Amino acid sequence: MSDWWEAAAAWHATHAHVARALLAGSLVSIVCGVMGCFIVLRRMAFLGDALAHAMLAGVVIGYLLMKWLFGLEAHAPAMLVGALIAGLATVGLVGLVSRQSRVKEDAAIGIMYTGIFALGGLIASLFSHYIHIDLLHFVTGNLLAVELADLWMMAAVAAVVLAAVILGFRSLQLTSFDPVMAASLGVPVAALDYVLTTCTSLVVVSGVHIVGVILVVGLLITPAATALLICRRLSAMLWAAALFGLTSFLFGYAVSEWLNVAPGSAIVVAGTLQFAAVWAVAPEHGLAARWLARRRAVPQTIREDILGCMHRDGREWVPWKSLTERLECGATMLRRAGEALAAGHWVECSREGLRLTDLGRDEALRLRRAHRLWETYLERLGTPVSDLHRRADQLEHVNDERAVDYLDDKLGHPLVDPHGAEIPVDGKRIVAGALVRVSLLREGHQAIVRQLGPAAATLALSVGQPIRVGPRRPDPITWTIDLADGSVVALDHRQADDLLVELRD
Amino acid sequence: MNGTNVPAIEIEHLTVSYGQVAALLDISVAIGAGQLVGIIGPNGSGKSTLVKAILGFLRPDLGRVRIFGQPLERAAGRVAYVPQRGAVDWDFPVTVREVALMGRYGRIPWWREPSADDYRAADEALETVRMAEYRDRRIGQLSGGQQQRVFMARAMAQGAEILLLDEPFAGVDAATERAILEVLSRMRAAGRTLVVVHHDLATAAEYFDNLLLIKQRLYAYGPPPAVLDQELLAEVYEGRLRVFSRLLAGRGEEP
Repeated sequence: MSDWWEAAAAWHATHAHVARALLAGSLVSIVCGVMGCFIVLRRMAFLGDALAHAMLAGVVIGYLLMKWLFGLEAHAPAMLVGALIAGLATVGLVGLVSRQSRVKEDAAIGIMYTGIFALGGLIASLFSHYIHIDLLHFVTGNLLAVELADLWMMAAVAAVVLAAVILGFRSLQLTSFDPVMAASLGVPVAALDYVLTTCTSLVVVSGVHIVGVILVVGLLITPAATALLICRRLSAMLWAAALFGLTSFLFGYAVSEWLNVAPGSAIVVAGTLQFAAVWAVAPEHGLAARWLARRRAVPQTIREDILGCMHRDGREWVPWKSLTERLECGATMLRRAGEALAAGHWVECSREGLRLTDLGRDEALRLRRAHRLWETYLERLGTPVSDLHRRADQLEHVNDERAVDYLDDKLGHPLVDPHGAEIPVDGKRIVAGALVRVSLLREGHQAIVRQLGPAAATLALSVGQPIRVGPRRPDPITWTIDLADGSVVALDHRQADDLLVELRD
Repeated sequence: MNGTNVPAIEIEHLTVSYGQVAALLDISVAIGAGQLVGIIGPNGSGKSTLVKAILGFLRPDLGRVRIFGQPLERAAGRVAYVPQRGAVDWDFPVTVREVALMGRYGRIPWWREPSADDYRAADEALETVRMAEYRDRRIGQLSGGQQQRVFMARAMAQGAEILLLDEPFAGVDAATERAILEVLSRMRAAGRTLVVVHHDLATAAEYFDNLLLIKQRLYAYGPPPAVLDQELLAEVYEGRLRVFSRLLAGRGEEP
């Protein structure tokens, strides 16, 4: 036992800087990960960068003041406070410039953070004979030079930031997700913004010791962004970001010792690789998941062809075999398409075949409507009759609501296609109780007049009157509606479009 | 709901600006309790700004808002909010149940965890909008209509007397629109006051007891037939009366 203790003490004497580095790095990378979650979710990444750069001026001024006023060399708390003030001043100035001038916020951040960083550099080189800190460490970080005082500072920062996050969790969650609701509950939204900015400055200040000014944003953002890829809850994301921060630090530090390279760069590279690895395998939007989903995806055209085919078939259960023959597609693809359709509740699958659900039947009718409208349109364009069906078979897959509505309106809401087959009604709109244009209705529909648009204003109709749609008359196309008293009202296309009625069952 | 009741929302000379531009100018209106009110007006007319001012998110330059006679600071949590679809970050890591639970945040002191009662209230609200089975899904994984219903559940869990909804019918299908409308009328029947930002003039008359027509300032407040006056709309929607007539003809088209 005492041998072990002596050995440990001896190791500590020679490797104290390693122990301090490990402790400091772990502490800082965990806190950076946690804080980074809020920065990522609130899209403030650029702010972290700005704060890091502004720090230099704060540290230098803090250093000089303490030296001149009290003769203290490299007083860590003073440099921390200086950095904090510089960071907050930068945020304030960015706000001022973007509010009070024509310069937008991103440019304002660019101006201020380079300006204050350069000011720090200027002062530092002006008084370089007073300042006994290596400015290069600010750029690259210096993990192995972490002093006990720095360690205390980092521990204090970690305690303050983690306490703020734990105690204010719900308020921070709500202001990040829905600031308007937060305000309505009396959460001090603006004050919390300041708390978050202050915490970010504190975390950035301690992060600079580990990886330097340029890379601190990587320590802040990357673990949090990695966590976002796989987490459903903010609480889980905070834990995961802390863990990813820690692992990227430990892995990067180990690699830097092994290869004898700058730890800052190794840590940030490790974090980035970790992000890439998690991105590749993340279940929801990961690269592998997407690739698999795309492979498994069934082309929309095949799914729609199956629905159309089943609807035409007429049998309740359509055997798989008759579909493979008619659609000329492989059995595997067909089975996959069947599964996809079943997942959307359009069909039910069994071992023998497929059956259309009500939803599937509606969808099939919608496709038939699109197909026949396209045929009518193609004929209007002068397409040879022999080509009509083939071309419409391709075009029926262009069937978004707007496109179909456009065709229908342009063609004057036709009743039959060029082959004389009936074009189904717009099943999405023609439902009992819905408000629809008379132009979409067919003979026999019963409804109540609800609104007379400008073109329909001159008609002898009043709101609340019951009507029945009569037969369509050609050349020029005319809608007729029968009234309760036996009279008939004729409408042209524009009037039929402008007359809104409520459909009855 | 008699005349002696204090109005649910009372707005006096409300003026809100973004820099030099007044988004709202001298708006005064009193919305009675238990009504279903629609806020209409062209794009950029200050509808969302009005909602945010009533919620206390935007500080007015002038004027004040009172909730049941109380100034806003004393009415925290008495107004529930359903945000516009575009205003929500759908990538945010938050589950359906957590969103519903947010409705209870106003009652949970910051040092305490949500209690079993809070979870029960959230679950019951999800049950009412038939979203209970999705409670562990992330909010971004749902369809537009489902997301809208989760936010309705959040408002219900809050138990607020007043609900503000910013464009709840935008981008949802007809079935969801009916479902939301049904929830709204059920809440009104329970005595709640509902204020809904709405862009579809064609359905405005059908859905609401009263309409509030604004474009920077208040143009009209009253029953739909009075507010949906051709001349008034022509003035507010300016040269876009054609758009208006198209809106009347085709439901749900964006102006």
